[in-house]
Amino acid sequence: MYEPRIIGYLCTWCSYTGADTAGIARLKYPANLRAIRVPCSGRVSPELIMRTFDQGADGVLVLGCHIGECHYDTGNHRTAKRIPVLHALMTFAGLEPERLRLDWVSASEGERFARIVNEFTEAVRMLGPCQWRQNGNSRQQLNHQDLLESIPFSELGG
Amino acid sequence: MSYTLEIQTKARELLTSKQVECVIGYEVGPRGRTRPAFVYDAQDVERLVWNQACTHNLTTYLNDKLNPQGPVKNKTKEHKPGRVAVVVKPCDSRAINVLLAENHFPRELLHVIGVVCDGILEKAGQSDNLRSVRELPISDLSQLQSRCQRCEDHMPVTYDTLIGECPSHQELSLGNANQADLIHMQAMTPAERAEYWLSQFDRCIRCYACRQVCPMCNCPTCLYERDDSLWVGLRIGLNEKRTFHLGRAFHLAGRCIGCDECERVCPMNIPISLLNRMLAKEVEALFGHRAGLAPIPPPFVTVLSDS
Repeated sequence: MYEPRIIGYLCTWCSYTGADTAGIARLKYPANLRAIRVPCSGRVSPELIMRTFDQGADGVLVLGCHIGECHYDTGNHRTAKRIPVLHALMTFAGLEPERLRLDWVSASEGERFARIVNEFTEAVRMLGPCQWRQNGNSRQQLNHQDLLESIPFSELGG
Repeated sequence: MSYTLEIQTKARELLTSKQVECVIGYEVGPRGRTRPAFVYDAQDVERLVWNQACTHNLTTYLNDKLNPQGPVKNKTKEHKPGRVAVVVKPCDSRAINVLLAENHFPRELLHVIGVVCDGILEKAGQSDNLRSVRELPISDLSQLQSRCQRCEDHMPVTYDTLIGECPSHQELSLGNANQADLIHMQAMTPAERAEYWLSQFDRCIRCYACRQVCPMCNCPTCLYERDDSLWVGLRIGLNEKRTFHLGRAFHLAGRCIGCDECERVCPMNIPISLLNRMLAKEVEALFGHRAGLAPIPPPFVTVLSDS
């Protein structure tokens, strides 16, 4: 069965602790999530998210503190402004909109954390593997598989 | 009096009275092509022209002229830059507001010669002789650049001297909402869009012409050229080129004034302005912000409003 690779950028003050809370409460959430602890959700730059998809992530989840609860006062304000625009940009460039999600989880909301991860994992699982990742220098090399399929079977010596 | 003469008269006045050190304007080069001109001497003002091939956004040069020492932190008191006059079209004048909002230079160092603009010809920048294009009737929108067809602002948003009068034929615009290509793109499926953009970015040779010509791309060291950058590649892999273009578009979100110079200078004809226009629309929808209409900072550097 296909298991999506999901990278979660969790703010160390709220969401990462929220994940701990979920663990302490023995809540079950999919093991597809690879949590990366960041000092603030505002630290997650657009380049970082694009890099994550370039490296083969099927989904990226950015979790921060609720607005007004940021440890650095306004760090998550920047996230709240940036990520929707990045979402629009990456969707415009051909990413399925469901693959990038921003949400807020506070340190006590273990249940909410588990629910979000569950929802997100299922949404990404439905989409199947992400086609964003590109290897090589040009388009021609990419369509290797298509090329193989276009060659008659007999010519492949099989 | 023609716009050319008015610009020359103003430039002569500014230079002889030593109000400015340099006038940045347009001239017609030896091959008949209109190009940027830097005039330091009142004797040379005859070089300045105005025609419908003045496509360049001259605000690109302001940062170099007004911050000759490079980034702000290196500026010393003894190297005080002289004042500069710049000829701007209405679209370019919005770039000045963005640069002012970002504190690149004080407004006092600038004398803005705003020119009322009816649109720039699509052929501008090509080698045809456009010396007398001013006389050309502009009844035909299809001769104009696509950005000019959409343009609704025929008056500069900021100026010290205004050349020309507000045109009465404002109906000669398809309107900003007319973005058929953008709507067409948004109607595609994600896979089709990915295919489209990958085929476009595939052509990129990373010459950085788009970045060099952009008045907003003024980082002392570009993130996409830093060899210690951890998350952006410097090579010409397809994903690295895609990251460069998308990242650059993102950095311009809420700041891009839509002069489309990046697209004009692109040797590989990548439709960069499509990304910029999409983001401008998105930023306007989300934050009600249009870049450069007033010298206020773009939404990404401010906190959320109370709502």
